[in-house]
Amino acid sequence: MIRALLFKEWLKIRWFWAAALAIHVAIFLRIFFDIRGRIGAEHAEMVWYQTVHLGTLLYSDIRYLPLLTGLVLAAAQFIPEILGRRLRLTLHLPMHRDSMLLICLAAGLSGLLSLCFLSAVSIPLILAKTFPIPVALSSLPTMLPWILAGVLAYLGGVTLLLETTWPRRVLLIFVFSILIALHYSGRGYGWLTPALPWLIALAPLFLAAVFESGRRFRQRGA
Amino acid sequence: MHAIEVHNLSHHYNGRTIYQDLTFSVREGSICGLLGKNGQGKTTLVNILMGFLEPAGGHCLVLGEKAHDLSPATRRRIGLLHEGHLAYAFMTIDQTHRFFQGCYPGWKSDLFYHLVDKMGLPRSQRIGTMSCGQRSQVVLGTIMAQNPDLLILDDYSMGLDAGYRRLFLDVLHDFAAQGQKTIFVTSHIIQDLEQLVDTLIFLDRGEILHTSLDAFMTNFHHYVFHQTGPVELPKDELIINCEQRGNKITFFSWAGTDAVQQHLADLGIPAPDLRRLPMTLEDGFIGLMGKY
Repeated sequence: MIRALLFKEWLKIRWFWAAALAIHVAIFLRIFFDIRGRIGAEHAEMVWYQTVHLGTLLYSDIRYLPLLTGLVLAAAQFIPEILGRRLRLTLHLPMHRDSMLLICLAAGLSGLLSLCFLSAVSIPLILAKTFPIPVALSSLPTMLPWILAGVLAYLGGVTLLLETTWPRRVLLIFVFSILIALHYSGRGYGWLTPALPWLIALAPLFLAAVFESGRRFRQRGA
Repeated sequence: MHAIEVHNLSHHYNGRTIYQDLTFSVREGSICGLLGKNGQGKTTLVNILMGFLEPAGGHCLVLGEKAHDLSPATRRRIGLLHEGHLAYAFMTIDQTHRFFQGCYPGWKSDLFYHLVDKMGLPRSQRIGTMSCGQRSQVVLGTIMAQNPDLLILDDYSMGLDAGYRRLFLDVLHDFAAQGQKTIFVTSHIIQDLEQLVDTLIFLDRGEILHTSLDAFMTNFHHYVFHQTGPVELPKDELIINCEQRGNKITFFSWAGTDAVQQHLADLGIPAPDLRRLPMTLEDGFIGLMGKY
């Protein structure tokens, strides 16, 4: 049953996931060639000064990538279910309804996090071609808040799609927007590193919002 | 033993009372048709029975369990056809088979493909690109392959031409013939139900009439007589839904010919040529519920 559900979710997101993968790879290549181009155009010392002393992010192109990927995957998974109230088909399946929702979320989050993992591997590798390992590794705590923002965007998107009333939708947009904006506050390397344990602990709490909207969706006529 | 039990069900929508203290049951092994005009709450009742909607009052049991809290094991025993033949539009025929096969341990692949292959469509065809009739056949195959004990069909005939409706009925007859299978069905095509159901529930403004098909067809009558001038037939306990076209007056009644003749005479309306007309279930439905 779990395999069947994962199969269904994969059918919905596969083309969107593939498109997101292609965009990720294209942006990685762009960052790689951009760094090479900078070093070719300017002195290496100047690039070092900009990067290490001025804190210029050479991979800021991926800043909003997890956020957009999260929103797209949430839409790809749940819009086909909401349209024509097809979620009823899923809700009638012989499985505990919260477990079903959890598996759907696991499928979406796996799609999102697999791309984030690719970023977390690719960006340090690209940087390591030019910079020392500590500089390359510093990209990880810098990117982590963006990845968490992507997770929040995904959970917020699903919650919003399952929500049935406009006042709650507006409230959810407000709350999730503020929380996501928090993850983008500050600039430079590792700006939010001290807050990372709190941000990581915060993200799973929003699963509760998804389940609450899912419960309300069921009780209000699915 | 009852497959469906509804006790004192009440429900409101936008301040309008849909039901008040509705009580009925559907015996296991029966084929029950729920009939009512548009907007009388047939789909709402199905949604309540399947736990998609919480009623304002009362409770429903489906296969012995509370409708709003059906266990996965009980849901497995219920084949549900949603209004509009809901299906996963993004799946192909083969993907639909693969998905549902993984959800239902007793899934009958042969039956699924037997019903779906009748359309002659490639198994790689996406459901979203099918016509309503073709989609209904995939949905029918999906439900039948689950081998459920209880079928709940919400307006199965919606959007289907005569051929697909007949195909549906054939399959339902075969399903019912297996014994101890219960079907609870709503449909706008009432003449189809006449060939299928053994029990009827008429739903009208929150009130129900629960009867067997035989009892209804035997005890409810369609009458006609002729008058040269205009006649004002009162609507009372004997005369239901009277209609005058030219000099021809028709009405319905639960009473026999003699009682009706006497009643008309008491009202001062001579009806020497009063006689009963042959009545279909659709005639009876219109007679009981009115046209609008």
